[in-house]
Amino acid sequence: MRILLKIALGITFIFSSLSFINTANALDIVFAEDRPDLRTLDPRITQSRHEEMLIVNMFDQLISADSEGNIYPGLATSWDVSSDGLEYTFSLRDDVSFHDGTKFNAAAVKATFDSIVDPETGSQGAVDILGPYKETIVIDDFTAKVVFERRYGSAITAFTETELSIVSPTALDKLGNEGFGMAPVGTGPFMFKNWEANKKVELVRNPDYNWAPEYMDGSGPSQVANLTYRLIKDTSTRVAALEAGEVDIAELVPPLDMRRFDSSGDLSTVTGTVSGLPYSAFLNTTTGVFQDVNVRKAFFHSLDRVKMTSDLFFGYAEAAFGPISSSTPSYWSGNEDYYPYNPEGAAALLDEAGWKMGSDGVREKNGEKLTVFFPCLLEPDTCVAIQGYANKVGFDVNVEVVMKARQDELIFANGYDMLVIRWVSLDPGVLIIPFHSRNIPQPGKFKFNWARYANAELDQLLEDAESAETQEVKDDLYMQIQKHIMDQAIFLAIHDQVQTVAYNPDLEGVRFANGNWQMRMYDVRKK
Amino acid sequence: MNFFIKKLLIVIPTLYIAWTVVFVTLNIIPGDPVNLMLGGRPASDEVRENVRKNLGLDKPVFERYTSFLINATKGDLGKSYLTRQPVTTMIKENMMPTIELSIGGLIFGVFFGVFFGIFAGTKPNSMRDTFSMIIALCGISLPSFWIGMMLIYIFGTTLGWVPIVGEGFVSLILPSITVGLFFAGGMARLTRSSLVDVLNQDYIRTARSKGISKYRIVLRHSLRNAMIPPVTLLGIQFGLLITGAVITEEVFARPGLGQLLLQAILAKDIPLVQALVVYMTAVYIFLNLIVDFTYGIIDPRIRLERNRG
Repeated sequence: MRILLKIALGITFIFSSLSFINTANALDIVFAEDRPDLRTLDPRITQSRHEEMLIVNMFDQLISADSEGNIYPGLATSWDVSSDGLEYTFSLRDDVSFHDGTKFNAAAVKATFDSIVDPETGSQGAVDILGPYKETIVIDDFTAKVVFERRYGSAITAFTETELSIVSPTALDKLGNEGFGMAPVGTGPFMFKNWEANKKVELVRNPDYNWAPEYMDGSGPSQVANLTYRLIKDTSTRVAALEAGEVDIAELVPPLDMRRFDSSGDLSTVTGTVSGLPYSAFLNTTTGVFQDVNVRKAFFHSLDRVKMTSDLFFGYAEAAFGPISSSTPSYWSGNEDYYPYNPEGAAALLDEAGWKMGSDGVREKNGEKLTVFFPCLLEPDTCVAIQGYANKVGFDVNVEVVMKARQDELIFANGYDMLVIRWVSLDPGVLIIPFHSRNIPQPGKFKFNWARYANAELDQLLEDAESAETQEVKDDLYMQIQKHIMDQAIFLAIHDQVQTVAYNPDLEGVRFANGNWQMRMYDVRKK
Repeated sequence: MNFFIKKLLIVIPTLYIAWTVVFVTLNIIPGDPVNLMLGGRPASDEVRENVRKNLGLDKPVFERYTSFLINATKGDLGKSYLTRQPVTTMIKENMMPTIELSIGGLIFGVFFGVFFGIFAGTKPNSMRDTFSMIIALCGISLPSFWIGMMLIYIFGTTLGWVPIVGEGFVSLILPSITVGLFFAGGMARLTRSSLVDVLNQDYIRTARSKGISKYRIVLRHSLRNAMIPPVTLLGIQFGLLITGAVITEEVFARPGLGQLLLQAILAKDIPLVQALVVYMTAVYIFLNLIVDFTYGIIDPRIRLERNRG
């Protein structure tokens, strides 16, 4: 009896010490994500940066980029570009396998890219990022050649994008497009485990992961054993759950709470300046008062963007000045010299344009009031701040908070004076979408040139930049493009988009993915 | 029995009309599902046209309606535009959390509603009557997002007694109180007024004169007769809950039919909205039947009248 007891005690001891070792090395992290309505976790199909928040941790790309956009080998160890810029030959890693145990190879690259351009797949993001893709040629097991129809200046950036992650062809065959989106299979540091609709998605670490990009601190499998994405839409609940310790890391924390955590030190914070289009307004050049470039310039001068941004974001976002954010490649710092806060200058410009101050504080010309109709889809508080500043120099800004469906109607009918926008994008090539004249919306045709600005010279610059041969040429062309847009005062940048993240101060290694929106959770560990 | 068969025969045309009304309304109101789905993302024309084709939105409205209808008669309510999953699967996934919350709210609401109703109704115009009715008024009028946030702040953040977004039974407590308070308010007021009426009836005076104890009079003789109006209210309110408590679901980050419907409407996800509305209509009809049935149990006279008629 006593011997049995000793054995039992011994076993208990062994197990308890084993479980101790396990917990030391098995971090469970809960990440609070703000969107509950995830639709697919298939990188080839998604168009949502919220879905990519999870996808980026389950998949790898051929080329990997850190949060600053510096390029490192990913699933490809090296690559060559042909002299005509049409062919990209990738040497692939030979030691990588998918979560389902199948081997990663050149055939998987081909299957992924070919399926992206197949209309049956219904790709919403990746197919545009893949650009003028022609085909992938499997040269041998671990060499793949991607061929484009024409020179594609954004190709290298494109291969770092989450949407061009390599997926398991075996799993695709087995699950089909719809099934794959609900249970994705990649090569990344975390594997899909479970998805409770509108509530949470659970990932577990990939025990075989041994191909982390070299900018990561760690190597081998992640120290995070279980990674749960708790989908919490209500901002105060998200912050409360973080403070109560129910979640470890939360995204989109309000600036006021960020400031509170920074001053108390209860939670650590990190802020990312998102690359792409900052929070900005298009001024409609085809109708209403903004047809006159001087009125547009006066509107720009009337806003104190620096003060407005610091009032609204408490220092967690910077004012923006150019059509792309300062963290986007090919950003031109000359943007910052344009249109400083100058209410007197604005008044002078308006006087010159014939708009005289009326008795009610609104300017008039030939009996017509200086009225601006401003449907506001994003950040109503910023829209109202703009309204307040512009009013001081005599604009009557009529802000209407709209839903997406209403905004679409107004775009089709050309029934607005200004509209706001913000985009996440890794490449300045995105500028062709909102500024090329072929992208002016028509009734029933949704497009993004909301300034409705048509200029052959700008069109040519945008087209040339898309197929620029060298980085220097590309930078120069995008400089000219930004200068043109600023000279014409058609796009009013207000502030940089920021991703505000707060987390448990016992953790370290919390880092942004390229673009500064998604978080790479691989390096997260206890201090 | 006739009575229930008659009622059941109305169900199918009612569901068909509800379903058609949703289809027509969603096609009239502005907004293109493809644009709404692609959000602010700079998707190309090719992507837009391809999505439109994949969803069958390139076909004329009438053709879409008839093919929806034909599939529906086969029991296939279609796939969501947003997730491409069958809408029935999506409803099933969100149904359990809604039922849990409804039952939690029901238990909490009935318990406190009846308690405060009796507490107030047995001694009208007293201090305790006023006190109970103030509580009831608060329950009805305080918005649930405020109550939810206060409960989170007090019991979740400050005291740390219950999880805010956690798992299992404990995580159901705060949301149940939030929806239950609204429930309890109405129940308490109706129970009180109904009880006051009944306690003034002749047979209660007879019972009193027979020397039956006060508790027995309230619990055995009065309450049963007083429960008809509160049970009617209960049916309506439970119907509201079982179709989803949008705000409570959002505050406590719970999945549920309310959130699902909201997302579907904002995105003009027509198949999903149609299926949800049909489901909700069916639940209402079913709950009405249950309430009718309960009347008969509470008061056998109603059952007799019904059989005669």
